[in-house]
Amino acid sequence: MWVEKYRPKSSGEMIGNEQARFALWTWLSEWKPGGKAALLVGPPGTGKTTMVGLFAKEAGMNLIDLNASDARTKERLRVRIGEAINATSLLGERSLVFLDEVDGLAGRSDYGAVEFIKDAVKQSRNPVVMAANDPESDEVRKLSSSTILVRFRPPPPREVEMLLREIARREGLSPDGEELRGYVVGAGGDVRNAINSLQSRSRDRALTYKDTAPSVVEAFAAFFDAKDGGEAAAALRRVPLQPLEKVRELQRSVVSSGLPPERLAAALKVMSEVDLLMGRIMKSGGWRMLRYLDRRLEEDLQPLVRGVKYSQEDLPFPVLLRIWNDSRRIRDVSERYAARAHTSGRSARSQDLPFVFALCSDKGFREGLEEALDLDEGYDKLLQKEAAR
Amino acid sequence: MRVVVGGWFTLPRLGRDAFALLMKQGVVYDKEMGFKLDPASDVRGAVRTIRSATGEEVEVDLRCFLCGRVACPGCPYVSVCDRTAVSSLCLCEEHSRDGSAFEAYGRAVRAGLS
Repeated sequence: MWVEKYRPKSSGEMIGNEQARFALWTWLSEWKPGGKAALLVGPPGTGKTTMVGLFAKEAGMNLIDLNASDARTKERLRVRIGEAINATSLLGERSLVFLDEVDGLAGRSDYGAVEFIKDAVKQSRNPVVMAANDPESDEVRKLSSSTILVRFRPPPPREVEMLLREIARREGLSPDGEELRGYVVGAGGDVRNAINSLQSRSRDRALTYKDTAPSVVEAFAAFFDAKDGGEAAAALRRVPLQPLEKVRELQRSVVSSGLPPERLAAALKVMSEVDLLMGRIMKSGGWRMLRYLDRRLEEDLQPLVRGVKYSQEDLPFPVLLRIWNDSRRIRDVSERYAARAHTSGRSARSQDLPFVFALCSDKGFREGLEEALDLDEGYDKLLQKEAAR
Repeated sequence: MRVVVGGWFTLPRLGRDAFALLMKQGVVYDKEMGFKLDPASDVRGAVRTIRSATGEEVEVDLRCFLCGRVACPGCPYVSVCDRTAVSSLCLCEEHSRDGSAFEAYGRAVRAGLS
Protein backbone atom coordinates (compact mmCIF):
# COMPACT_ATOMS: atom_id res chain seq x y z
CA MET A 1 0.00 0.00 0.00
CA TRP A 2 1.37 3.36 -1.01
CA VAL A 3 -0.18 5.07 2.01
CA GLU A 4 2.08 2.87 4.17
CA LYS A 5 5.07 3.09 1.85
CA TYR A 6 4.95 6.89 1.82
CA ARG A 7 3.98 7.40 5.44
CA PRO A 8 6.13 10.32 6.68
CA LYS A 9 9.37 9.12 8.24
CA SER A 10 10.36 12.55 9.46
CA SER A 11 8.43 15.71 10.31
CA GLY A 12 9.86 17.28 7.14
CA GLU A 13 8.00 14.75 5.00
CA MET A 14 4.57 15.70 6.30
CA ILE A 15 2.41 18.21 4.46
CA GLY A 16 0.13 20.93 5.84
CA ASN A 17 0.04 22.56 9.28
CA GLU A 18 3.51 24.07 8.82
CA GLN A 19 3.05 26.78 11.43
CA ALA A 20 1.45 24.35 13.84
CA ARG A 21 4.50 22.11 13.48
CA PHE A 22 6.87 25.02 14.08
CA ALA A 23 4.88 26.14 17.12
CA LEU A 24 4.91 22.67 18.61
CA TRP A 25 8.61 22.16 17.93
CA THR A 26 9.46 25.50 19.54
CA TRP A 27 7.34 24.62 22.55
CA LEU A 28 9.03 21.23 22.87
CA SER A 29 12.54 22.65 22.50
CA GLU A 30 11.95 25.31 25.12
CA TRP A 31 9.90 23.31 27.59
CA LYS A 32 11.07 23.20 31.19
CA PRO A 33 9.45 21.46 34.21
CA GLY A 34 6.49 23.52 35.38
CA GLY A 35 5.88 24.76 31.83
CA LYS A 36 2.53 24.61 30.07
CA ALA A 37 1.30 21.56 28.19
CA ALA A 38 0.48 21.69 24.48
CA LEU A 39 -3.05 20.97 23.30
CA LEU A 40 -3.43 19.87 19.68
CA VAL A 41 -6.95 20.32 18.37
CA GLY A 42 -8.13 19.19 14.97
CA PRO A 43 -10.21 16.65 13.09
CA PRO A 44 -9.08 13.01 12.83
CA GLY A 45 -6.53 12.30 10.11
CA THR A 46 -4.81 15.69 10.20
CA GLY A 47 -1.54 14.25 11.51
CA LYS A 48 -1.63 15.07 15.23
CA THR A 49 -0.60 11.62 16.43
CA THR A 50 1.89 11.06 13.61
CA MET A 51 3.56 14.36 14.28
CA VAL A 52 3.91 13.80 18.02
CA GLY A 53 5.53 10.41 17.32
CA LEU A 54 7.95 11.89 14.80
CA PHE A 55 8.86 14.82 17.06
CA ALA A 56 9.56 12.47 19.97
CA LYS A 57 11.83 10.43 17.71
CA GLU A 58 13.62 13.47 16.32
CA ALA A 59 14.09 15.00 19.77
CA GLY A 60 15.51 11.69 21.06
CA MET A 61 12.69 11.33 23.56
CA ASN A 62 10.82 8.29 24.73
CA LEU A 63 7.13 8.58 23.79
CA ILE A 64 4.59 7.62 26.46
CA ASP A 65 1.31 7.30 24.63
CA LEU A 66 -1.84 7.31 26.77
CA ASN A 67 -5.44 7.47 25.77
CA ALA A 68 -7.51 9.58 28.13
CA SER A 69 -10.74 7.88 27.14
CA ASP A 70 -9.32 4.46 28.08
CA ALA A 71 -9.03 5.39 31.74
CA ARG A 72 -12.54 4.62 32.91
CA THR A 73 -12.12 5.78 36.50
CA LYS A 74 -10.35 8.63 38.22
CA GLU A 75 -8.13 6.16 40.03
CA ARG A 76 -7.05 4.58 36.74
CA LEU A 77 -6.39 8.00 35.28
CA ARG A 78 -4.43 9.04 38.39
CA VAL A 79 -2.22 5.95 38.25
CA ARG A 80 -1.58 6.10 34.50
CA ILE A 81 -0.86 9.81 34.32
CA GLY A 82 1.04 9.77 37.60
CA GLU A 83 3.43 7.15 36.25
CA ALA A 84 3.88 8.95 32.96
CA ILE A 85 4.56 12.45 34.22
CA ASN A 86 7.24 11.22 36.59
CA ALA A 87 8.80 8.68 34.25
CA THR A 88 12.55 8.79 33.92
CA SER A 89 14.82 6.33 32.23
CA LEU A 90 18.02 4.85 33.64
CA LEU A 91 19.96 6.27 30.71
CA GLY A 92 18.62 9.76 31.36
CA GLU A 93 16.47 9.67 28.23
CA ARG A 94 13.68 12.26 28.45
CA SER A 95 10.07 11.31 27.85
CA LEU A 96 7.26 13.00 25.99
CA VAL A 97 3.83 12.22 27.40
CA PHE A 98 1.07 12.10 24.81
CA LEU A 99 -2.45 12.13 26.17
CA ASP A 100 -4.76 11.46 23.25
CA GLU A 101 -8.52 12.05 23.01
CA VAL A 102 -8.87 14.31 26.03
CA ASP A 103 -12.30 15.22 24.66
CA GLY A 104 -13.19 11.55 25.24
CA LEU A 105 -13.38 12.33 28.95
CA ALA A 106 -16.91 13.58 28.27
CA GLY A 107 -19.50 12.12 30.57
CA ARG A 108 -16.93 11.48 33.27
CA SER A 109 -16.09 15.13 33.84
CA ASP A 110 -18.22 14.95 36.99
CA TYR A 111 -15.29 13.56 38.90
CA GLY A 112 -13.07 16.47 37.91
CA ALA A 113 -10.86 14.67 35.40
CA VAL A 114 -9.95 17.89 33.60
CA GLU A 115 -8.95 19.62 36.83
CA PHE A 116 -6.94 16.56 37.75
CA ILE A 117 -5.09 16.62 34.41
CA LYS A 118 -4.38 20.35 34.78
CA ASP A 119 -2.84 19.78 38.22
CA ALA A 120 -0.86 16.77 37.02
CA VAL A 121 0.58 18.75 34.11
CA LYS A 122 1.83 21.46 36.48
CA GLN A 123 3.80 18.88 38.45
CA SER A 124 5.07 16.97 35.44
CA ARG A 125 8.76 16.31 34.98
CA ASN A 126 8.09 15.58 31.31
CA PRO A 127 6.47 17.70 28.60
CA VAL A 128 2.83 16.73 28.06
CA VAL A 129 1.04 16.98 24.73
CA MET A 130 -2.70 16.48 24.66
CA ALA A 131 -4.86 15.96 21.60
CA ALA A 132 -8.55 16.42 20.96
CA ASN A 133 -10.79 16.27 17.91
CA ASP A 134 -13.58 18.57 18.93
CA PRO A 135 -12.59 22.22 19.47
CA GLU A 136 -16.04 22.95 20.94
CA SER A 137 -15.88 20.28 23.65
CA ASP A 138 -16.03 21.31 27.30
CA GLU A 139 -12.68 19.64 27.94
CA VAL A 140 -10.93 21.69 25.26
CA ARG A 141 -12.52 24.89 26.57
CA LYS A 142 -11.42 24.14 30.11
CA LEU A 143 -7.90 23.14 29.10
CA SER A 144 -7.23 25.85 26.52
CA SER A 145 -6.55 28.58 29.08
CA SER A 146 -3.73 26.63 30.72
CA THR A 147 -2.16 25.12 27.59
CA ILE A 148 -0.53 26.19 24.34
CA LEU A 149 -3.34 25.63 21.85
CA VAL A 150 -2.21 24.37 18.44
CA ARG A 151 -4.84 23.90 15.75
CA PHE A 152 -4.53 21.18 13.15
CA ARG A 153 -6.39 21.33 9.85
CA PRO A 154 -6.41 19.31 6.64
CA PRO A 155 -3.70 20.38 4.16
CA PRO A 156 -4.81 22.61 1.26
CA PRO A 157 -5.43 20.79 -2.07
CA ARG A 158 -2.32 22.21 -3.76
CA GLU A 159 -0.09 20.61 -1.13
CA VAL A 160 -1.88 17.30 -1.59
CA GLU A 161 -1.24 17.61 -5.34
CA MET A 162 2.44 18.30 -4.64
CA LEU A 163 2.65 15.11 -2.57
CA LEU A 164 0.88 13.06 -5.26
CA ARG A 165 3.24 14.43 -7.91
CA GLU A 166 6.22 13.41 -5.79
CA ILE A 167 4.84 9.89 -5.22
CA ALA A 168 4.09 9.54 -8.93
CA ARG A 169 7.66 10.63 -9.73
CA ARG A 170 9.13 8.07 -7.34
CA GLU A 171 6.88 5.36 -8.82
CA GLY A 172 7.94 6.30 -12.34
CA LEU A 173 4.50 7.59 -13.33
CA SER A 174 3.81 10.83 -15.15
CA PRO A 175 0.16 11.81 -14.67
CA ASP A 176 -0.75 15.24 -16.02
CA GLY A 177 -1.99 18.09 -13.84
CA GLU A 178 -5.61 17.49 -14.76
CA GLU A 179 -5.43 13.85 -13.68
CA LEU A 180 -3.76 14.72 -10.37
CA ARG A 181 -6.37 17.40 -9.70
CA GLY A 182 -9.06 14.78 -10.28
CA TYR A 183 -7.57 12.60 -7.52
CA VAL A 184 -7.23 15.54 -5.15
CA VAL A 185 -10.77 16.82 -5.66
CA GLY A 186 -12.23 13.31 -5.64
CA ALA A 187 -10.56 12.59 -2.31
CA GLY A 188 -12.31 15.57 -0.71
CA GLY A 189 -9.19 16.72 1.14
CA ASP A 190 -8.29 13.29 2.50
CA VAL A 191 -4.62 12.60 1.75
CA ARG A 192 -4.96 8.83 2.17
CA ASN A 193 -7.85 8.68 -0.28
CA ALA A 194 -5.91 10.74 -2.80
CA ILE A 195 -2.89 8.42 -2.55
CA ASN A 196 -5.14 5.36 -2.85
CA SER A 197 -6.76 6.84 -5.98
CA LEU A 198 -3.37 7.45 -7.54
CA GLN A 199 -2.32 3.90 -6.77
CA SER A 200 -5.52 2.34 -8.07
CA ARG A 201 -5.20 4.20 -11.39
CA SER A 202 -1.74 2.78 -11.92
CA ARG A 203 -2.94 -0.83 -11.97
CA ASP A 204 -0.50 -1.82 -14.67
CA ARG A 205 2.39 -0.81 -12.45
CA ALA A 206 1.23 -1.61 -8.96
CA LEU A 207 -1.27 -3.81 -7.23
CA THR A 208 -4.14 -2.09 -5.48
CA TYR A 209 -5.42 -2.95 -2.05
CA LYS A 210 -8.31 -4.82 -3.62
CA ASP A 211 -5.86 -6.97 -5.54
CA THR A 212 -3.93 -7.98 -2.46
CA ALA A 213 -6.60 -8.04 0.24
CA PRO A 214 -8.32 -11.34 0.98
CA SER A 215 -12.05 -11.71 0.37
CA VAL A 216 -14.41 -11.85 3.34
CA VAL A 217 -14.65 -15.64 2.99
CA GLU A 218 -10.85 -16.11 2.92
CA ALA A 219 -10.27 -13.77 5.84
CA PHE A 220 -12.89 -15.46 8.06
CA ALA A 221 -11.63 -18.91 7.04
CA ALA A 222 -8.15 -17.82 8.17
CA PHE A 223 -9.63 -16.58 11.46
CA PHE A 224 -11.42 -19.87 12.19
CA ASP A 225 -8.36 -21.90 11.21
CA ALA A 226 -5.86 -19.78 13.17
CA LYS A 227 -3.65 -21.82 15.49
CA ASP A 228 -3.03 -19.07 18.04
CA GLY A 229 -4.06 -15.57 19.07
CA GLY A 230 -1.43 -13.94 16.84
CA GLU A 231 -2.70 -15.66 13.71
CA ALA A 232 -6.30 -14.90 14.69
CA ALA A 233 -5.46 -11.23 15.20
CA ALA A 234 -3.74 -11.00 11.82
CA ALA A 235 -6.69 -12.68 10.08
CA LEU A 236 -9.24 -10.50 11.82
CA ARG A 237 -7.39 -7.33 10.81
CA ARG A 238 -7.62 -8.38 7.19
CA VAL A 239 -11.39 -8.90 7.16
CA PRO A 240 -12.55 -6.19 4.74
CA LEU A 241 -15.68 -5.28 6.69
CA GLN A 242 -16.76 -2.60 9.12
CA PRO A 243 -16.58 -3.68 12.81
CA LEU A 244 -20.35 -4.08 13.20
CA GLU A 245 -20.61 -6.20 10.04
CA LYS A 246 -17.64 -8.25 11.24
CA VAL A 247 -19.42 -9.04 14.52
CA ARG A 248 -22.66 -9.94 12.71
CA GLU A 249 -20.86 -12.29 10.33
CA LEU A 250 -19.10 -14.02 13.23
CA GLN A 251 -22.38 -14.31 15.11
CA ARG A 252 -23.99 -15.97 12.09
CA SER A 253 -21.15 -18.48 11.79
CA VAL A 254 -21.24 -19.28 15.50
CA VAL A 255 -25.00 -19.82 15.49
CA SER A 256 -24.88 -22.23 12.56
CA SER A 257 -21.59 -23.87 13.58
CA GLY A 258 -23.01 -27.12 14.96
CA LEU A 259 -20.62 -26.94 17.93
CA PRO A 260 -21.25 -29.18 20.95
CA PRO A 261 -23.77 -27.45 23.29
CA GLU A 262 -21.26 -26.46 25.98
CA ARG A 263 -18.80 -24.90 23.56
CA LEU A 264 -21.63 -23.25 21.67
CA ALA A 265 -22.99 -21.76 24.90
CA ALA A 266 -19.55 -20.41 25.81
CA ALA A 267 -19.06 -18.96 22.31
CA LEU A 268 -22.51 -17.34 22.34
CA LYS A 269 -21.77 -15.85 25.76
CA VAL A 270 -18.63 -14.22 24.35
CA MET A 271 -20.59 -13.01 21.32
CA SER A 272 -23.27 -11.46 23.52
CA GLU A 273 -20.62 -9.60 25.53
CA VAL A 274 -18.96 -8.48 22.31
CA ASP A 275 -22.36 -7.31 21.07
CA LEU A 276 -22.87 -5.25 24.23
CA LEU A 277 -19.42 -3.70 23.82
CA MET A 278 -20.13 -2.94 20.15
CA GLY A 279 -23.35 -1.21 21.15
CA ARG A 280 -21.48 0.87 23.70
CA ILE A 281 -18.85 1.84 21.12
CA MET A 282 -21.50 2.83 18.56
CA LYS A 283 -23.39 4.86 21.14
CA SER A 284 -20.41 6.69 22.61
CA GLY A 285 -18.25 6.96 19.49
CA GLY A 286 -15.38 5.53 21.55
CA TRP A 287 -13.74 3.82 18.58
CA ARG A 288 -10.56 3.26 20.55
CA MET A 289 -12.43 0.55 22.44
CA LEU A 290 -12.50 -1.49 19.22
CA ARG A 291 -9.12 -2.86 20.21
CA TYR A 292 -10.74 -4.54 23.26
CA LEU A 293 -13.48 -5.88 21.05
CA ASP A 294 -10.92 -7.41 18.69
CA ARG A 295 -8.98 -8.80 21.62
CA ARG A 296 -12.10 -10.56 22.95
CA LEU A 297 -12.70 -12.09 19.53
CA GLU A 298 -9.09 -13.20 19.14
CA GLU A 299 -8.43 -14.48 22.64
CA ASP A 300 -11.82 -15.54 23.98
CA LEU A 301 -13.89 -16.48 20.96
CA GLN A 302 -11.37 -17.96 18.56
CA PRO A 303 -10.23 -20.92 20.77
CA LEU A 304 -13.90 -21.90 21.13
CA VAL A 305 -14.71 -21.76 17.42
CA ARG A 306 -11.43 -23.10 16.01
CA GLY A 307 -12.17 -25.26 12.99
CA VAL A 308 -15.68 -23.88 12.43
CA LYS A 309 -16.63 -23.20 8.80
CA TYR A 310 -17.48 -19.62 7.87
CA SER A 311 -21.20 -19.50 7.12
CA GLN A 312 -22.90 -16.99 4.89
CA GLU A 313 -26.24 -18.66 5.54
CA ASP A 314 -28.70 -16.79 7.66
CA LEU A 315 -31.38 -18.44 9.74
CA PRO A 316 -34.52 -19.08 7.64
CA PHE A 317 -36.61 -15.92 7.41
CA PRO A 318 -39.70 -17.37 9.20
CA VAL A 319 -37.45 -18.34 12.14
CA LEU A 320 -35.90 -14.89 12.21
CA LEU A 321 -39.33 -13.31 12.07
CA ARG A 322 -40.49 -15.40 15.01
CA ILE A 323 -37.40 -14.44 17.03
CA TRP A 324 -37.88 -10.73 16.28
CA ASN A 325 -41.58 -10.91 17.03
CA ASP A 326 -41.08 -12.72 20.34
CA SER A 327 -38.33 -10.28 21.36
CA ARG A 328 -40.63 -7.34 20.64
CA ARG A 329 -43.45 -8.89 22.68
CA ILE A 330 -41.20 -9.76 25.63
CA ARG A 331 -39.91 -6.18 25.62
CA ASP A 332 -43.50 -5.01 25.63
CA VAL A 333 -44.42 -7.29 28.56
CA SER A 334 -41.37 -6.15 30.51
CA GLU A 335 -42.23 -2.48 29.98
CA ARG A 336 -45.80 -2.97 31.11
CA TYR A 337 -44.61 -5.01 34.10
CA ALA A 338 -42.00 -2.38 34.99
CA ALA A 339 -44.64 0.34 34.97
CA ARG A 340 -46.87 -1.69 37.32
CA ALA A 341 -44.04 -2.80 39.61
CA HIS A 342 -42.36 0.64 39.70
CA THR A 343 -39.06 -0.74 38.50
CA SER A 344 -36.92 -0.23 35.43
CA GLY A 345 -37.46 -2.20 32.23
CA ARG A 346 -33.97 -3.63 32.53
CA SER A 347 -34.34 -4.96 36.07
CA ALA A 348 -37.81 -6.25 35.19
CA ARG A 349 -36.27 -8.24 32.32
CA SER A 350 -33.25 -9.51 34.20
CA GLN A 351 -34.57 -10.02 37.74
CA ASP A 352 -38.34 -10.38 37.89
CA LEU A 353 -39.60 -11.77 34.62
CA PRO A 354 -37.71 -15.09 34.70
CA PHE A 355 -39.66 -15.94 37.88
CA VAL A 356 -42.89 -14.46 36.59
CA PHE A 357 -42.60 -16.51 33.38
CA ALA A 358 -41.91 -19.65 35.41
CA LEU A 359 -45.15 -19.07 37.34
CA CYS A 360 -47.03 -18.72 34.06
CA SER A 361 -47.29 -22.51 33.77
CA ASP A 362 -50.24 -22.04 36.13
CA LYS A 363 -53.22 -21.02 34.02
CA GLY A 364 -54.82 -18.94 36.78
CA PHE A 365 -51.65 -16.96 37.36
CA ARG A 366 -51.18 -16.44 33.63
CA GLU A 367 -54.69 -15.10 33.16
CA GLY A 368 -54.31 -12.82 36.17
CA LEU A 369 -51.06 -11.47 34.73
CA GLU A 370 -52.65 -10.87 31.33
CA GLU A 371 -55.44 -8.96 32.95
CA ALA A 372 -53.15 -6.92 35.19
CA LEU A 373 -50.88 -5.97 32.32
CA ASP A 374 -53.72 -5.57 29.83
CA LEU A 375 -52.26 -8.14 27.42
CA ASP A 376 -54.38 -9.39 24.54
CA GLU A 377 -54.89 -13.06 23.61
CA GLY A 378 -51.88 -13.18 21.36
CA TYR A 379 -49.63 -12.98 24.41
CA ASP A 380 -51.04 -16.12 26.02
CA LYS A 381 -49.13 -18.40 23.65
CA LEU A 382 -45.93 -16.46 24.28
CA LEU A 383 -46.33 -16.74 28.07
CA GLN A 384 -46.97 -20.46 27.78
CA LYS A 385 -43.84 -20.85 25.63
CA GLU A 386 -41.73 -18.88 28.09
CA ALA A 387 -43.13 -20.91 31.01
CA ALA A 388 -42.20 -24.16 29.25
CA ARG A 389 -38.52 -23.17 28.82
CA MET B 1 -13.49 42.04 1.61
CA ARG B 2 -10.42 39.84 1.25
CA VAL B 3 -8.49 38.67 4.26
CA VAL B 4 -5.09 36.99 4.01
CA VAL B 5 -4.37 34.50 6.79
CA GLY B 6 -1.30 35.79 8.60
CA GLY B 7 -1.72 39.33 7.22
CA TRP B 8 -3.06 42.44 8.97
CA PHE B 9 -6.40 43.88 7.95
CA THR B 10 -8.65 46.61 9.24
CA LEU B 11 -12.32 46.49 10.09
CA PRO B 12 -14.84 49.22 10.68
CA ARG B 13 -15.76 49.79 14.28
CA LEU B 14 -17.42 46.63 15.54
CA GLY B 15 -19.67 46.39 18.54
CA ARG B 16 -18.21 45.30 21.85
CA ASP B 17 -19.75 41.85 21.58
CA ALA B 18 -18.38 41.21 18.08
CA PHE B 19 -14.93 42.38 19.15
CA ALA B 20 -14.98 40.16 22.24
CA LEU B 21 -16.08 37.22 20.11
CA LEU B 22 -13.22 37.78 17.66
CA MET B 23 -10.75 37.80 20.54
CA LYS B 24 -12.27 34.59 21.84
CA GLN B 25 -11.86 33.12 18.36
CA GLY B 26 -8.13 33.77 18.57
CA VAL B 27 -7.98 36.77 16.24
CA VAL B 28 -4.92 38.93 16.98
CA TYR B 29 -5.54 42.65 17.52
CA ASP B 30 -3.05 45.49 17.47
CA LYS B 31 -4.13 49.10 17.88
CA GLU B 32 -1.76 50.26 15.14
CA MET B 33 -1.92 47.38 12.70
CA GLY B 34 -5.50 46.16 13.05
CA PHE B 35 -6.59 42.52 13.06
CA LYS B 36 -4.81 39.33 12.04
CA LEU B 37 -5.92 35.72 11.60
CA ASP B 38 -3.11 33.44 12.65
CA PRO B 39 -2.73 29.63 12.70
CA ALA B 40 -4.23 29.42 16.20
CA SER B 41 -7.33 31.41 15.18
CA ASP B 42 -10.67 29.80 14.61
CA VAL B 43 -10.70 31.11 11.03
CA ARG B 44 -14.16 29.82 10.17
CA GLY B 45 -15.70 31.29 13.32
CA ALA B 46 -13.90 34.63 12.84
CA VAL B 47 -15.10 34.90 9.24
CA ARG B 48 -18.66 34.27 10.39
CA THR B 49 -18.33 36.94 13.07
CA ILE B 50 -16.87 39.52 10.67
CA ARG B 51 -19.54 38.74 8.09
CA SER B 52 -22.39 39.20 10.52
CA ALA B 53 -20.86 42.29 12.15
CA THR B 54 -20.06 44.12 8.91
CA GLY B 55 -22.62 42.63 6.54
CA GLU B 56 -19.84 42.12 3.99
CA GLU B 57 -18.82 38.91 2.25
CA VAL B 58 -15.39 37.75 3.45
CA GLU B 59 -12.97 35.93 1.12
CA VAL B 60 -10.02 34.25 2.79
CA ASP B 61 -6.67 33.92 0.98
CA LEU B 62 -3.64 31.87 1.97
CA ARG B 63 0.03 32.71 1.54
CA CYS B 64 2.62 30.57 -0.19
CA PHE B 65 4.73 28.68 2.33
CA LEU B 66 7.81 28.99 0.12
CA CYS B 67 7.74 32.64 -1.00
CA GLY B 68 5.10 34.35 1.14
CA ARG B 69 3.05 35.62 -1.82
CA VAL B 70 -0.72 35.35 -1.76
CA ALA B 71 -1.33 31.93 -3.26
CA CYS B 72 -5.03 31.81 -4.12
CA PRO B 73 -5.45 33.97 -7.27
CA GLY B 74 -5.51 31.67 -10.29
CA CYS B 75 -5.56 28.49 -8.19
CA PRO B 76 -7.45 25.68 -9.96
CA TYR B 77 -8.85 24.53 -6.60
CA VAL B 78 -10.31 27.89 -5.68
CA SER B 79 -13.90 26.70 -6.07
CA VAL B 80 -13.45 23.50 -4.02
CA CYS B 81 -10.97 24.63 -1.36
CA ASP B 82 -12.55 25.74 1.91
CA ARG B 83 -9.85 28.18 2.99
CA THR B 84 -11.43 28.62 6.41
CA ALA B 85 -10.97 24.90 7.11
CA VAL B 86 -7.56 24.02 5.64
CA SER B 87 -4.19 24.77 7.22
CA SER B 88 -3.00 28.32 6.98
CA LEU B 89 -0.26 28.14 4.32
CA CYS B 90 -0.34 26.82 0.77
CA LEU B 91 1.75 26.98 -2.41
CA CYS B 92 1.57 29.67 -5.09
CA GLU B 93 1.09 28.80 -8.75
CA GLU B 94 4.78 29.14 -9.57
CA HIS B 95 5.93 26.86 -6.77
CA SER B 96 3.19 24.30 -7.23
CA ARG B 97 4.17 23.89 -10.90
CA ASP B 98 7.82 23.45 -10.00
CA GLY B 99 8.90 19.81 -10.36
CA SER B 100 11.17 20.08 -7.33
CA ALA B 101 8.49 21.66 -5.11
CA PHE B 102 8.47 18.74 -2.68
CA GLU B 103 12.21 19.00 -2.10
CA ALA B 104 12.03 22.76 -1.64
CA TYR B 105 9.08 22.28 0.70
CA GLY B 106 10.97 19.71 2.80
CA ARG B 107 14.01 22.03 2.99
CA ALA B 108 11.83 24.95 4.13
CA VAL B 109 10.17 22.79 6.80
CA ARG B 110 13.52 21.54 8.09
CA ALA B 111 14.83 25.12 8.15
CA GLY B 112 11.78 26.20 10.15
CA LEU B 113 12.30 23.37 12.63
CA SER B 114 15.98 23.97 13.20
